[in-house]
Amino acid sequence: MNIAWKEIKKNKIRFMILGSIVFLVSLLTFIISGLANGLSQDNAALIKELPNGQFYMNADAEETYNLSLIDTSVQDTVLSEKEDAAALSIQMGFLNDEEDKQRSVAFVTSTDSELFENVKEGEIILDRSLEEEGLKVGDILTNNQFSGEFIVKGFVDQQKYSHAPVAFINMENYKEMYRVNEMQLIFIPGEDNFPTIEGLQSFSNTEFLNTIPSYSAEQLSLNMIVWFLVVISGMLFAIFFYMMNVQKIGLYGILKAIGVKTSTLFKMMWTQMLFITVIALGLSIVLSQSFNFIAPEGMPFSLTAATTVQLSIVFLIIGFIGATLSGIQIKKVEPLQAIQQGEV
Amino acid sequence: MTIFTINDVRKTFTNGEVEEEILKGIDLSLQQGEITALVGASGSGKSTLLTIAAGLQSASDGQIIFNGKNMADMNQEQIRRIRASEFGFIFQSAHLVPFLTVEEQLILMLEVSESKFKKGQQENEISHILKLIDMDHRKNAYPASLSGGERQRVAIARAIIHKPKILFADEPTASLDSKRSKDVMQLIRNLTKTLNITTLMVTHDQEMLSYADHIITMKDGLAE
Repeated sequence: MNIAWKEIKKNKIRFMILGSIVFLVSLLTFIISGLANGLSQDNAALIKELPNGQFYMNADAEETYNLSLIDTSVQDTVLSEKEDAAALSIQMGFLNDEEDKQRSVAFVTSTDSELFENVKEGEIILDRSLEEEGLKVGDILTNNQFSGEFIVKGFVDQQKYSHAPVAFINMENYKEMYRVNEMQLIFIPGEDNFPTIEGLQSFSNTEFLNTIPSYSAEQLSLNMIVWFLVVISGMLFAIFFYMMNVQKIGLYGILKAIGVKTSTLFKMMWTQMLFITVIALGLSIVLSQSFNFIAPEGMPFSLTAATTVQLSIVFLIIGFIGATLSGIQIKKVEPLQAIQQGEV
Repeated sequence: MTIFTINDVRKTFTNGEVEEEILKGIDLSLQQGEITALVGASGSGKSTLLTIAAGLQSASDGQIIFNGKNMADMNQEQIRRIRASEFGFIFQSAHLVPFLTVEEQLILMLEVSESKFKKGQQENEISHILKLIDMDHRKNAYPASLSGGERQRVAIARAIIHKPKILFADEPTASLDSKRSKDVMQLIRNLTKTLNITTLMVTHDQEMLSYADHIITMKDGLAE
């Protein structure tokens, strides 16, 4: 006889109330986590969307890519040896539309590469968020450091940097705007076998992100928010399942008294914990993923399947620990003592 | 024939720094198929003795011999197995499982005791015992919808459905009125005699002693 299921069936409302608490706590965690990831994505999608690889910048720049200038001969040597490598530069700036409305963007230019948008002189490709703001293909944009005009050739998804939409421009236009001939960075995609280049310092994708002062400070705060939330939610889960079972100690005492095996009692606790958690997490996942569609425009929200699965596993493990701890307490207590405790 | 023996059983409770000896060396033996009643004033230790004998709590010292083995030397799992298959227990209040119907209470007990019934046999056995306690018409009822007397009758059925060798009953009529008490005691007597079950019963009620074959009076943790 499945006594766990019998109890759930008989006490539907009680278990629904318990499940709704798990649902609300997990939903809160998913939403906050989605907002934090969204902000993180908003800050560095340009880099995060790149495959794993290695960034190189001038060693004299002291880990500040803005100060980095890579010698063109070094750049040419690396690019000739590594076909899929790219040299690139990133600079914050402004674009004015035909109505002279100014928009903050991150100008990005690169050598010919599949990793970045390649644009012809006088053309510009923008992050999709600018399309949502009203820009369209064919619009003419200007910049006060650029003598010519940019014509919008298209839009791309998930290309943000430092909370600004990325604007991909041709290298010649970039050189004119910023009066430089050298690129700031070289990126070599791959997992290993990265060359050591004299005069250049190398960084993994994550290490490079952490050299961006605004990113590392913001990430620290966001990670703290998410982890505090996960720890507090986790503790709530564990305490919740612990209390749920300890409150029923009288019932477990009766079951122990008539000779029900301790392993059966553990199975009962785990089954009920799993039942509540899986349904509550399922609803939370559906609702938090739906939030992607109903979130107000411009609100950065990114809840990936990997994050959802990770958090769900954490909650299941913590729920399991909470149920097991209460089970251990119930295992230790003598049946009569359990019945008497339940009567108090 | 002696089926169960208690030798010099002692129980001490510690409350902070105060130690209180509730049982001060009890000896008793139970004869097969007979009802033994434990009587005495509140605090005399009769319920403690009963629950120790039933393996619901441990003794501080002494021997509890069942089937030639000392239960005091057994681990929790060994005691559980005996409780599940060889003992039946009736509490002061019914202590039924609140989310199981009358019939399910009995099915659970049969499963726990690992009684080897085929499905049809099990149904017959349950139907038979429900008729004996006059509860067959309420087999699908949950404990909350039963009267006190009905609950206690179900508790009795649960205690004997697996045909235990010993039935322990802790004031089984305490929560019942006079008429129901007599009915329940008559039921216990009939069932124990029919099934040859040995019974150890605690009672306050002098009227219930007429159902017992032996009476042991307890006073201040000692059997007189």
